Amino acid sequence: MKNTKFISHLNILEKIKKILFNNLFNSLLSLLLILSLGSIITFTIKWIIFDSSWKVITSNLPLFAFGSFPKSERWRPAIWMISLLTLCVLTLFGPKYMWLRKNIIIGWILTLPLGFYLLYGGAGLPHVMSRNWGGLTLTIFLTIGSSFFSLPLGILLALSRKSSLPIIKKFSAIYIDSMRSIPLIAVLFFGQLLIPLFLPFGLEIDRVWRAILAYTLFLSAYIAEDIRGGLQAIPKTQIESANSLGLNKYQINKFILIPQSLIIALPALTNQSIGLFQNTSLMAILGLLELIGVGRSVLANPEFIGQYIEVYIWLATVYWLFCTIIAIIGRHLEQTMIKTKSNFF
Amino acid sequence: MDKRRKFFVQTIFLFVIIFLIIILLNNLIINISRTGLGFNFNWLSKPASFSIAEHSLPYNPSNSYSWALFIGWLNSLKVIFFSLILSSLLGTILAFARASNNLLIRIISSGYITVIRQTPLLLQLMFWYFIGFLGLKDNTKFAVYDFFNMSNQGIKFYSFEISSEFAALLFGLSVFSSAFIAEVIRGGIFSVPNGQWEAFRSLGISEKKGLLSIIIPQALPAIIPGLTSQYLNLAKNSTLAIAVGYSDIYAINDTIINQTGRAIECFLILLISFFFLNMLITNIMEIINSLVMNFKK
Repeated sequence: MKNTKFISHLNILEKIKKILFNNLFNSLLSLLLILSLGSIITFTIKWIIFDSSWKVITSNLPLFAFGSFPKSERWRPAIWMISLLTLCVLTLFGPKYMWLRKNIIIGWILTLPLGFYLLYGGAGLPHVMSRNWGGLTLTIFLTIGSSFFSLPLGILLALSRKSSLPIIKKFSAIYIDSMRSIPLIAVLFFGQLLIPLFLPFGLEIDRVWRAILAYTLFLSAYIAEDIRGGLQAIPKTQIESANSLGLNKYQINKFILIPQSLIIALPALTNQSIGLFQNTSLMAILGLLELIGVGRSVLANPEFIGQYIEVYIWLATVYWLFCTIIAIIGRHLEQTMIKTKSNFF
Repeated sequence: MDKRRKFFVQTIFLFVIIFLIIILLNNLIINISRTGLGFNFNWLSKPASFSIAEHSLPYNPSNSYSWALFIGWLNSLKVIFFSLILSSLLGTILAFARASNNLLIRIISSGYITVIRQTPLLLQLMFWYFIGFLGLKDNTKFAVYDFFNMSNQGIKFYSFEISSEFAALLFGLSVFSSAFIAEVIRGGIFSVPNGQWEAFRSLGISEKKGLLSIIIPQALPAIIPGLTSQYLNLAKNSTLAIAVGYSDIYAINDTIINQTGRAIECFLILLISFFFLNMLITNIMEIINSLVMNFKK
């Protein structure tokens, strides 16, 4: 036993030598990197333990999570986020019952209405106006709301861009290309300041919904291009065999083209949703108090002034964590779909 | 679908779209007339009466709004141009670092890419500005005699100075874009068949020369389209300048809207400015692309 342990120990050393110190240049480089990494890490640990004060985070945790949601009603966004977390866990590790796997998509679709009901209230719950929504809750709400609407719109645009009707084809091409050439902040600005000008007098859309509308207009153009890529990757024989089976155009779209293109486009779609989650931060510039907006308002508090590093590291960690969760879910879906050849419908 | 039905469907579609546009425009006209501002561009020739900290051409507050907008456009162009160069350099280094045979370098570069890609650009920009530059309290910490200094005033390099806003935006944009550019370059180099590597190695050509004269020329046609879309993204992302207080085209438009309330006009101007910026980048990249293609022949 001892002997084998010794050998494996030696193997590791040999491996390290082979990987890091195989020639003079690499040895010097590795040494330099190890030294600088070591000093950076010790400096960071020293800073975290001795010099930083995390009171700015710990005393503002409810603010980061719920914004200025009334204290007595905070259980509502909390329940919503717990239900979301449950859905994530079910999607990732859920038992392999057929009905569960088939119906989990319904759970995801229901998250938006459920979230809106819990946040806004009505039907037994007191109303909470959207100006009190904030923090992580608002970031997640914006992400889910925008992806909820932009996926169907993106599919529709992608299909119309490949349509045989020239006017519809042209229209969707113009829409997609022009939307992709303007910066997101301009679209969001349009949503916040200009959409009210296009509505009849007396009709008002809430700011959060205007933001979701703007994100949807923007994102659907990008999603359409991803799905178009998926559509183009489907072999022609698929359509020909569907035709020979006597399926009509609607059936071909629903059963052949959309499911397959979604599977092909899934990695790109995962990246889009990660991008969307990050880009909700732009609403901080336009005055919504989502995560970064809360961070800014915390930093404006005289008690915590100048504690940029703590707040930014905290925010970066939160964003990193959620983006990683989205990436993991995306990869998991990809793998299960390749394995079982099942689809969204 | 037969021809008549196609025609019918499209006519209805067109009709609905036109109808919607007419309704929206009608609402717009009513709303604009209620504000009493009207829709015109006469205000463009009036004095702007706000100062712009950073201008490449002479500017003072008594200049017109149109001149202020042009200054903003030039500022955008300036930051996009320098970020383009810096991010391409960083991206190339990163792409080769990820393919390095040193494990430590591979780990560090992939760690760098995950951190950069999984955090919002806005946060990164704020980090560079508020911590990287404004956080420097001791203004002589990085000073190298009179030659180089980095302080909360920006970076001074001999007699050449850049403001902290510009530097924060430049570094933030470049570091962010480099993570994406690295992937494009890596993908392009991987697209060259393995046989090409084996061939030049078996001919006794050195790694460096083989990479430069055999692999990269073949990878470029695959790299350039991806690079173009990353450059366009960079140009679009440069509008986040407003978060660090750099006066780019969006920030100037925002100031003007706050001053005059002319949201629609300014929005149109913003769209047109971006149209020109995009056209500039696309055309330059197309010229580079055709040069590469000709070179290959």
